[in-house]
Amino acid sequence: MSETTNGKSDIIALNKVGKTFWRGKERLDVLQELDLTMKEGSFEALMGPSGSGKSTLLNLIAGLDVPSSGSLRVAGVELSQMSEGDRAGFRAANIGFVFQTYNLLPVLTALENVELPLLLAKLPAAERRKRAQTALKVVGLEDRMSHYPRQLSGGQEQRVTIARAIVSDPKIIVADEPTGDLDRHAANEILNLLGKLNTEFNKTIVMVTHDPAAAERASICHRLDKGALAL
Amino acid sequence: MTLLGVAVRNIKRSKLRTSLTLAVVAIATLFFILLRTVVWSWTSASEFSAKDRIATRHKVSFVMMLPKRYAQEIAQIPGVKAVAYANWFGAKNPKDESDFFATIATDPRALLEVYHEIQTTPEQKQAWFENRRGALVGDALAKKEGWKVGDKITLTGSIYPGDWEFFISGIYTTTTTNVDRSTLYFNWDYMNESLSARQKDQVGWILANISDAGASGRISKEIDAKFGERDLQTVTMSEAALNQSFLGMFSAILKAVDLVSIVMILIMGLIVGNTIAMGVRERTNEYGVLRAIGFLPKHIAQFVLGEAAAIGLFGGLIGVVLGYPFVNALVGRALEENMGNMFPQFRVQPGIAVLGLGLAVVLAVFSAVLPARQAASLKVVDALRRVG
Ligand SMILES: Nc1ncnc2c1ncn2[C@@H]1O[C@H](COP(=O)(O)OP(=O)(O)OP(=O)(O)O)[C@@H](O)[C@H]1O
Ligand SMILES: [Mg+2]
Repeated sequence: MSETTNGKSDIIALNKVGKTFWRGKERLDVLQELDLTMKEGSFEALMGPSGSGKSTLLNLIAGLDVPSSGSLRVAGVELSQMSEGDRAGFRAANIGFVFQTYNLLPVLTALENVELPLLLAKLPAAERRKRAQTALKVVGLEDRMSHYPRQLSGGQEQRVTIARAIVSDPKIIVADEPTGDLDRHAANEILNLLGKLNTEFNKTIVMVTHDPAAAERASICHRLDKGALAL
Repeated sequence: MTLLGVAVRNIKRSKLRTSLTLAVVAIATLFFILLRTVVWSWTSASEFSAKDRIATRHKVSFVMMLPKRYAQEIAQIPGVKAVAYANWFGAKNPKDESDFFATIATDPRALLEVYHEIQTTPEQKQAWFENRRGALVGDALAKKEGWKVGDKITLTGSIYPGDWEFFISGIYTTTTTNVDRSTLYFNWDYMNESLSARQKDQVGWILANISDAGASGRISKEIDAKFGERDLQTVTMSEAALNQSFLGMFSAILKAVDLVSIVMILIMGLIVGNTIAMGVRERTNEYGVLRAIGFLPKHIAQFVLGEAAAIGLFGGLIGVVLGYPFVNALVGRALEENMGNMFPQFRVQPGIAVLGLGLAVVLAVFSAVLPARQAASLKVVDALRRVG
């Protein structure tokens, strides 16, 4: 990892990353020659018009997809050439996910949803349960553990999602419009929570958002336009 | 919570859809068990036949007659204990022509010797022997028709036309299930005396009781050899073989029943497959989230297959649990009482129940293979992008 002036290392480093999609014969260069670094423990926002490639970039950082060109190091791992199976392991170990919608399984309780990622780790059931309970306490939902998603408000659902994102203690949390479906009040709660994870638990947070108020919570805001970073 | 537990939870997702699918699986399993029991009961009827009874009929066909004196000649053969002759009379209740039961003209005393399984009281027996128009009817038939001892009834002949009047002299029960409890036996002389000279003294078949069940093959050969040089030759077989030859006439039906049971369970598979496929399509986004947090394609496939297995198992269990009383108490009792000679024992065999349940699970899982592969092969980013 490259050392920088303030002593913190880059946890995310993109070097001339390009991403091309094909729609039939039509070539779509969504990201072009992108250089970007993020420090460990930073809280950074990605903004930009719809279709500018924010989600595409976030998906690359999270190891959900691989770039068409360039190299990409996240948490010390080169992702650009990694197989899907290895990336699944990488994601389980290093990334916590918060999406805008459809985050939770409706047939599982809040506690079970939070426990879900731990099913992949070889942990005893009691230990899984304990960790899931702790994560729910962090997001302030210890009294909603046995509720099903439909019994929760939108803001509470997102907090359960955040509990799930931190339960396996990943270094990085990626959030794609985490407040997109929420009212101001609930959105603020979620942003406070993300801020707390960043400052108290030293999580690196990368958040895509349309909301300038949300972006203000981040220490750095990147603007994407037509697949390139605008200054 | 386990991975399998999560899969099974999914069937709770859409209560109506799940209930309907479970109902389909349960009904298919139930009818599979019913139809298989029909086939089993029918084909195993011969096992329940009396081993010490043989029957002689015209060599060419059931419907051709033998001279009555053949009965006396058979009685002469060493090893034969008792002989009875019988004619298929084919009369019907004029009040309800579609109501089928057997009417058989026979020699009363000899019949009760040959069919030692037929039980009645000494008084009723005596009354039947002494009344030329007396009839001995099975308890199931008497119950169905509402006949009591002492009743006078009129039946319409079909093979032997005209109205025939009978007195119910007795009602019989049986000690084993292989003897029909819905037959009306009456005095052969009553029929014979009304026939023209050309038709007189002919019998449909001759039953013989033998002292040693192991000798049935030898005695049967002896009987047929005895009449081998006559104008009318015979074929003699054990009651089991007789039932089998009856079955031969119905073997096409049995094959059809067999086939229907298979087709039904296959259709069940298609319906389950369709339900699963619908669920998979709706959950594309969730599969995307699961894959994002580290689950592998094989886990997604396990979720889908596990859900299908749970549907097959629960539906199948419901089918089995309902199938036992349905087959044994409802259908089975009716068949044993009314068609006891064809279905001497109509009970769910544990093997058939297990096969039905196993097929429900296997076919449900098999039907989910395609949707499971589809769900597993989704690209994570595509699954996440697809909304709803
Ligand atoms: N898997 C894909 N296949 C084809 N085209 C894609 C794919 N993913 C993204 N695109 C295209 O790439 C472009 C950028 O998409 P992306 O989702 O990254 O935009 P975005 O900045 O997140 O937009 P929004 O703010 O609306 O979420 C769009 O034109 C989109 O249609
Ligand atoms: Mg987006």
